[in-house]
Amino acid sequence: MAEPTAPGMLRGDSPGLRLARRSLVLVALCAVLLPFADLSVVAHDPWAELGRMATGLALPHWGELSSPLQAIGLTVSVALWGTLLGVLLGFPLALVFFRSRLVRTGCAFVRAIHELFWALLFLQVFGFSAVTALAALAVPYAGIFAKVYAEILEQTPRDAADSLPPGVGRLSRFVYAELPLAWERLAAYTRYRFECSLRASVLLGFVGLPTLGFHLESAFREGHYHQAGALLWLFYLLIGTIGVWGHRRLLPLLAFASLFLLGPWPHVDGDLLWRFLSHDLWPAPLLNGDWAGLIAWLGDIPDLGPAIGNTLLLGLMGTVGALVIALLLWPLASRHFGNPATRLGGRALLVGLRSTPELMLAFIFLLLLGPSMLPAWLALALHNGALIAFLAARHADSLEPGMPGLSASGRYAYELLPRLYPGLLALVFYRAEVIIRETALLGMLGVATLGFHIDSSFQYLMFDQAFFLLLVTAGLNIAVDALARRYRPREVVMDDPCSR
Amino acid sequence: MRRLIATTLMLLGLAPVAQTQAQDTFRFTAIPDEDQTRLVERFQKVADYLADTLDVDVEYVPVKSYSAAVSAFRNDQVQLAWFGGLSGVQARRLVPGSQALAQGVEDAAFHSYFIANADTGIAADQDQLPESFEGHSFTFGAKTSTSGRLMPEYYLRERFGEAPEALFSRVGFSGDHTRTIALVESGTYDVGAVNYSVWNAAVEAGRVDTDKVHVVWETPAYPDYQWTIRGDVDARFGDGFTDRVRQALLGMTDPDLLESFPRQGFIPVSNDAYAPIETVGEDLGLLR
Repeated sequence: MAEPTAPGMLRGDSPGLRLARRSLVLVALCAVLLPFADLSVVAHDPWAELGRMATGLALPHWGELSSPLQAIGLTVSVALWGTLLGVLLGFPLALVFFRSRLVRTGCAFVRAIHELFWALLFLQVFGFSAVTALAALAVPYAGIFAKVYAEILEQTPRDAADSLPPGVGRLSRFVYAELPLAWERLAAYTRYRFECSLRASVLLGFVGLPTLGFHLESAFREGHYHQAGALLWLFYLLIGTIGVWGHRRLLPLLAFASLFLLGPWPHVDGDLLWRFLSHDLWPAPLLNGDWAGLIAWLGDIPDLGPAIGNTLLLGLMGTVGALVIALLLWPLASRHFGNPATRLGGRALLVGLRSTPELMLAFIFLLLLGPSMLPAWLALALHNGALIAFLAARHADSLEPGMPGLSASGRYAYELLPRLYPGLLALVFYRAEVIIRETALLGMLGVATLGFHIDSSFQYLMFDQAFFLLLVTAGLNIAVDALARRYRPREVVMDDPCSR
Repeated sequence: MRRLIATTLMLLGLAPVAQTQAQDTFRFTAIPDEDQTRLVERFQKVADYLADTLDVDVEYVPVKSYSAAVSAFRNDQVQLAWFGGLSGVQARRLVPGSQALAQGVEDAAFHSYFIANADTGIAADQDQLPESFEGHSFTFGAKTSTSGRLMPEYYLRERFGEAPEALFSRVGFSGDHTRTIALVESGTYDVGAVNYSVWNAAVEAGRVDTDKVHVVWETPAYPDYQWTIRGDVDARFGDGFTDRVRQALLGMTDPDLLESFPRQGFIPVSNDAYAPIETVGEDLGLLR
């Protein structure tokens, strides 16, 4: 990152300077607000527990796992079909995306709610069933696909379509002149989303759907670290080998086979669904037209000010942290640095950091540093930073250095970083909204974010309150997303990965 | 990719007809307060026992949290559930006609322990909650746990006359009793509240270093876990089905089955036994 050495250095209107200014404003904003964050470190004795964790990871007990194959099967099936349904729902929406404000708003809304919260909502109606799991992935993904597909299609060169004779139908033009040009990128993005959905599918286990995460969370929470270790290795393996088992020739077969693994299918009760939608989600005073009661109802809502403040602050800190981590870590996995051994290690580190669920990272830091925002910050920064670093490294690998004989640091600073940075920063800005969503999951740290209160409301079965808080969160996410889009580097064509 | 989409479209046409649940399967769920590993295998035995005794198809539905169990119960996705004190009350308020059938022998007089890290200097085994709690950090268990949240908060408020957030420097929710113990033992939190049976089991198994963490105070007794059944089961499974289920639960004496809960046995109980829990839940704003 460019550091100002003298006043006036950052003036000017070149893209590089604009980026530097934006980065510095972001970092400065974070630094100014940092004193308001709750970052105390409590010194104590975490080593016994951390030792147990490390032994568990080093000596996994494979034999103690109950039906791990079934859990893996379900994890993959849910991820695959969740993605496919997302494509089926999202693609038609992508075609009208830029023409309909309603579609854009709807998509922004469904995107803005975390998969886990969708799962908690669907859980109330469909129970622990494949429908809950698939809907929790397909609904937000439909919104994401609609947006990204629309952006990709918009960037398709027009030449082919323009050269068609007049009178060619809209459909023909799309199928013969537009789709083929965009196909490659659509497919690449879909594939990327599948990898994300695999992680999300594991996470769904945390709320009780019997994917790999179900067993992982139970074992980890109860301190059965040898089992948790075995499950974590399985998970890393699954993510690490996705290129092998998820080969595009195998996918149709996989999709077919996994249909039979999905389940159980719920008995959907129409009355139940209707009661949930028409009654449970809305404040009782509102339904009864009791305005005084509604004010009392609003009074019972947890304090929104601090919750929103904490959420935004943690989001900002996580974003800046991710930027710093990404800048530090990307060379580890790039072909321009180190030797094959260090690159393998670097890649393993990055895959490990981005695949380990944030909740686990946060728990480890909680043990080390005590309860405050700090463990959440580190977990978010490391997880997201590693993810961005991985993509930046891949981007760097596609570049050819033009200046031979530079030292490694010179290559980093003068050759590669200037070319990478716009993309990297764009990713960080994209990621900001995801980080805001993820702050929701870290309630166990005693940091009262919006997500903490949403989780409480679901636990207390106050669905109307949960829904209200979800709407607030969604509004916040949409606002942050709009802000990030406004300031993200426009110069780069985003080959947008898992970030949304 | 093209092929993938083609295949998908084809498959959607042929997608297997969703197997809907047969209406006459009796479903139950249960969450033990410790050791949730191999839940399905262990509770399959309980399901088999109930199926033999009741002569209906019985299925165990695994769930992960009490709130999920309550939702499943409310939505008739399970008809019988092993609830905690508070979650049982939540469920019975949401499903009119449902009733508490049986509780564990231990549940008639359940306790919570307040535990403290040794470095805090808070002495062990006191007669009441000590003043010295003030300013320390504190963790509950899960948000709707009766023994890890509800009753500890009730006794804290009763003793100090203020919310835990005002008394302690920080209040967290560990999410689980085992984790509460680990967090207080490591000193991450100074003080915690934990289910007494989980604590005792952990101490017996040598999973706790009692030099680092000790019990400060034991709450008075309150009723906790219980089996609750929906009110409409007699209509679906035949007259007297509720009583037969109760008898089957009370007649469960095989240690192998009881170990899953873990309880020594089950005794009859009624909804009224949980009135104190209900009152406390309302006072704390966890029920409405």
